[in-house]
Amino acid sequence: MRYRATIHVRPKPEVRDPQGDAILGALNSLGLGVTGVRTGKEIVVTFDAADEAAAKKATDTMGRELLANPVIDDFAVEISRADPVVEDFSIDLATP
Amino acid sequence: MVRVAILRFPGTWSERDFEHAFSLVGADTEIQWHEDVDLRGFDAAIVPGGFSYGDYVRAGAIARLSPAVRELRRFADEGGAVLGSCNGFQILCEAGLLPGALTRNTGLEFRCDWVMLRVESDATPFTRGLRGRSLRMPIAHGEGCWTADAETLERVEADGLVVFRYVENPNGSTADIAGLRNEAGNVVGLMPHPERCSEELLGGTDGRAVLEALVSSVGTEPALAAVS
Repeated sequence: MRYRATIHVRPKPEVRDPQGDAILGALNSLGLGVTGVRTGKEIVVTFDAADEAAAKKATDTMGRELLANPVIDDFAVEISRADPVVEDFSIDLATP
Repeated sequence: MVRVAILRFPGTWSERDFEHAFSLVGADTEIQWHEDVDLRGFDAAIVPGGFSYGDYVRAGAIARLSPAVRELRRFADEGGAVLGSCNGFQILCEAGLLPGALTRNTGLEFRCDWVMLRVESDATPFTRGLRGRSLRMPIAHGEGCWTADAETLERVEADGLVVFRYVENPNGSTADIAGLRNEAGNVVGLMPHPERCSEELLGGTDGRAVLEALVSSVGTEPALAAVS
C-alpha cells in the first residue's frame, strides 16, 4: 500500500522560537493584533507500508530518529493513502 | 605518538585546520571519510566544524545517522577521547553523546567573532590542568544556543558537566554554556574553534592549550589509553 504522510515539526512550547518572535514583530507592524507566533516545518513523505498501522509506526520512527529532535521538538503526523502511480506534492488548499 | 582521527562528513570544513593545528603539538593525524571510519588503534577522535549535509533538517541531524556515529559511539563507550567543535558539537548532541540540543542563536544572526571562555572543568583529556583559565577563541555559527529541559540543566550543573562558559554570551545559550562533557569526561563538545587559534599568525594561541592537554593526557590514565 502506498501512503503519504505529512509530518509537522514544531519547537516544544517551552523552547524559544526566535524566528517566531521575529515574525511576531513584523506582523505587528501590520497592525493586525497578532499576539503569538510559533514556526515549524512540514515534511511530506510518500512511502510503502503493509497497512495503516505499519504506516503509522514508520512515520513515528521517521519523526523520532530524524525529523524531530525529542529534546526540543514535538511532531504530529497526518497519513493518507497515496496514488501509487502519481506522486503529487502540490499543496492541498483546504477550503476555510 | 598520540594518534588522532579527524572525521569528515559531506560539508565538513575544519578538518584540515585540525590536521594542521595537531601537527604543531606533535600529534599524528588521519582524516577519515565518514563512511569508512575505523577508530581502532586511535587515542582520540575529532568531529570538526562545518555544515554537514548542508545543516538540512537541523544542524548535525543527518550526520547522526551516518555509520561514523555508530563507530564513534563504540569508541566513546570504550573510553576513547572525543572532541566535537561547532558542527561537531551539534552532531554529538544530536547523537545523544552529549546532553541537550543546539538551536538558532536568539539574535538570529550568524555570529563570527572572538569570545572569552572560562574553563570550568578539568575532568576531561582536553582541559586537564586548564581549570580556571580564561581562553580567547573564535566562534562562527548560527545555531549555538544550547538548550535543554530544566531537569537536564540541573543535572549538567550539579555534575559539573559544563567545561566552557562564555564570559559574554554571544548567542543566548542557556546558562552561558559554550561547551560540555559527558559524565565519564571522555566526550567534549564546544561551539568555539580551538583549531583556529593555535598559532600567532591567526591572532591567538589559546586553542593550542586544548590540543596540548590531549597530547599530554594520553597514556597517563588507563581509560585514555589507545582503544583497540
